[in-house]
Amino acid sequence: MAYFDNSATTPIHPDVVKAMNDSNTLHFGNPSSVHSKGRKSKALIENSRTEIAKCIGAQSEEIIFTGSGSESNNMILWSMLYNNKKHVITSSIEHPAITKVLISLAKFGISFTELPVDKYGMVDPDTLLKAIRKDTGLITIMMVNNEIGTVQPISELASIASEHNIPFHSDTVQALGKIPLLVNELNCDFLSFSAHKFYGPKGVGFLYKKKLKEIKSLTIGGSQESGYRAGTENISGIVGLAVATKLIRENLPKRIEHLKHLEKRFKENLKNINSKIFYNGHPKIRVPGLISMTIPGYRSDIMMAKLDRENLEVSSGSACGSGSIKPSKVLREIGHKDNINVCTLRISFGRDNSSEDVDRLANAMISIINE
Amino acid sequence: MSKPIIVGISGGVDSSVSAFTLKEKGYEIECIFMKNWDGNEESCTSEEDYKDALLVCDKIDVPLRTVSFAKEYWDNVFQYFLSEHSKNRTPNPDVICNREIKFNSFLNYSIDLGAKKIATGHYAQINKKDGLYTLHKGKDNTKDQSYFLCSLNQKALSRSIFPIGDISKDRVRQIARDNNLLNHSKKDSTGICFIGEQAHFKKFLKKYIPEKPGLIKTSDGIACGQHDGLMYYTIGQRKGLGIGGGYGSSELPWFVADKNIEENVLVVAQGHDHPALYHSTLTVSNFNWISGTPSKKNSLTAKIRYRQNDQNCNIDVLSKDKIYIKFDEPQFAITPGQFAVLYDNDECLGGGIIDDRK
Repeated sequence: MAYFDNSATTPIHPDVVKAMNDSNTLHFGNPSSVHSKGRKSKALIENSRTEIAKCIGAQSEEIIFTGSGSESNNMILWSMLYNNKKHVITSSIEHPAITKVLISLAKFGISFTELPVDKYGMVDPDTLLKAIRKDTGLITIMMVNNEIGTVQPISELASIASEHNIPFHSDTVQALGKIPLLVNELNCDFLSFSAHKFYGPKGVGFLYKKKLKEIKSLTIGGSQESGYRAGTENISGIVGLAVATKLIRENLPKRIEHLKHLEKRFKENLKNINSKIFYNGHPKIRVPGLISMTIPGYRSDIMMAKLDRENLEVSSGSACGSGSIKPSKVLREIGHKDNINVCTLRISFGRDNSSEDVDRLANAMISIINE
Repeated sequence: MSKPIIVGISGGVDSSVSAFTLKEKGYEIECIFMKNWDGNEESCTSEEDYKDALLVCDKIDVPLRTVSFAKEYWDNVFQYFLSEHSKNRTPNPDVICNREIKFNSFLNYSIDLGAKKIATGHYAQINKKDGLYTLHKGKDNTKDQSYFLCSLNQKALSRSIFPIGDISKDRVRQIARDNNLLNHSKKDSTGICFIGEQAHFKKFLKKYIPEKPGLIKTSDGIACGQHDGLMYYTIGQRKGLGIGGGYGSSELPWFVADKNIEENVLVVAQGHDHPALYHSTLTVSNFNWISGTPSKKNSLTAKIRYRQNDQNCNIDVLSKDKIYIKFDEPQFAITPGQFAVLYDNDECLGGGIIDDRK
């Protein structure tokens, strides 16, 4: 049994579970209450905020807790309703939590431009420069693509935005915990994060909002999260998130090294494969441990089913609701024709994978192809 | 390498119990949920059905996979459906879906996945006689679905299992209940899968085929109303004709008796017993013989619609895939486009599309 779909979600870290259990058992107070139980819960949240801020080099007041990466993205994009400038620039390979929101916003008079990507899935900063209009009110470009792992030149793109005085948001859900990520080096105004992508719990995420930058609340009510998100806080989720970020801060170089080792080993194993294969995404500028591979002539759903029988869990393109295989938009954007598009697997390693797991996966794939 | 039986699961009770029954018997099984219709038609219950399938598979602990044959369905079933309607005939997409999707695309896909056989929740049975596979009615006569399987070939039968073909629907529901399979009381699906309730039919069809309104006339040639297009009606239809009183000789209801395509006239007749509604012979084309042409041509039975009682008949084989059927008794509302399916006792010999009646 081995799990190689860590870009979809990761198994929760035991330290995170322990902290969440403690918080659930011991601290039920409402953080908005002024009595001691309330104060204790409030303290847990604020200490967590500090810990999380430290992980990305931010200040604690720049962290807003949300329910997910998608919610963080939505907060930024729906704030456009209050912006006098009604144009958004994005890339053509964003997650639906950006793309579909922009489509919804069209009904409210907000238009958008999608920047193309090259064959590696990379946005060219020059195209951004050319796409900027007088009424551009926001630029949003993901940091790491979830299907192919390419890392965008975010600091360069964000600098262009800043020179034009346009707020810059990046969906960094797939980045944290896999590459160094410090806000003062990125020059972004807003970043979206999700805890379960880095061994934290599901149902909790956060938004980095640079000081003095304005956004509007999606959920209105109480004054939690400085009025940016009403609703009693998910205390144990936030505590778990904080532990997960602390683990990143303490272990990032080790984790990166481990992922690189697994990736290298897997690719070496597959050198003996009796079939043409190629890897997608940028060959160098990419997150470690995420492999997007195309085996022309071998449909990914069939490969996945056969691997699943061996309890080897991988993904094809991007996981979707009822799971039927559709050509991926991201792969289309990097120039894959549909016939090889549907022959693409995503393998994403994690801290729990061992060299033996990787060997098993590679051997299983080789014998399936040789069948 | 594992060679499972792959069960086509729909989220309904029949396919769920089929999967459960095979699992209980100790077979290695996997389930596949098919998504055959793209888009957001209001009728598409696919998400809900998938959820039910997932819960059943979780309960009985078998893998569930999904596959989309939306393109194949569109090309091979939906285009047939439209083409028949545009000729003002009444198609049967369920028969064609079985032939093109379940026992072709799905079967081949399952073979690609290494399946030994496929299984579905149809009420029908398969036997083997003189080296040929034969199709038989389901044991539960009220639920028998062999009619819909009349277009299967030897390859399909040799690779298929109908695990509930020899038990009754009540028993199927009982098994589901006893084993807490979530959907034991889920209602049977009705209507055409991509349209849903019959009420939406007109609106749906209009999107694809232009309306051509015309007159409604009695079988004596008297104009008595207007129709929105012949394609909306089926022979024998009683409801929705909107013929007011005063035209008939009695208070008896009116029925669609015929479609005069040259003049775009819908022909109606009053009373269920009106002779214009009855014919004794018909020709069938695209006839599929499941296990070859039978030597017996007399004392057979046929159904001209699903759930009709077997009607005694004799046949003439006109060519490889064309036959002539003569019924002992005149038949009500023989409908071009529908399937005529032949039986020798409980064996389903095959079926084809009704072309013409006399």
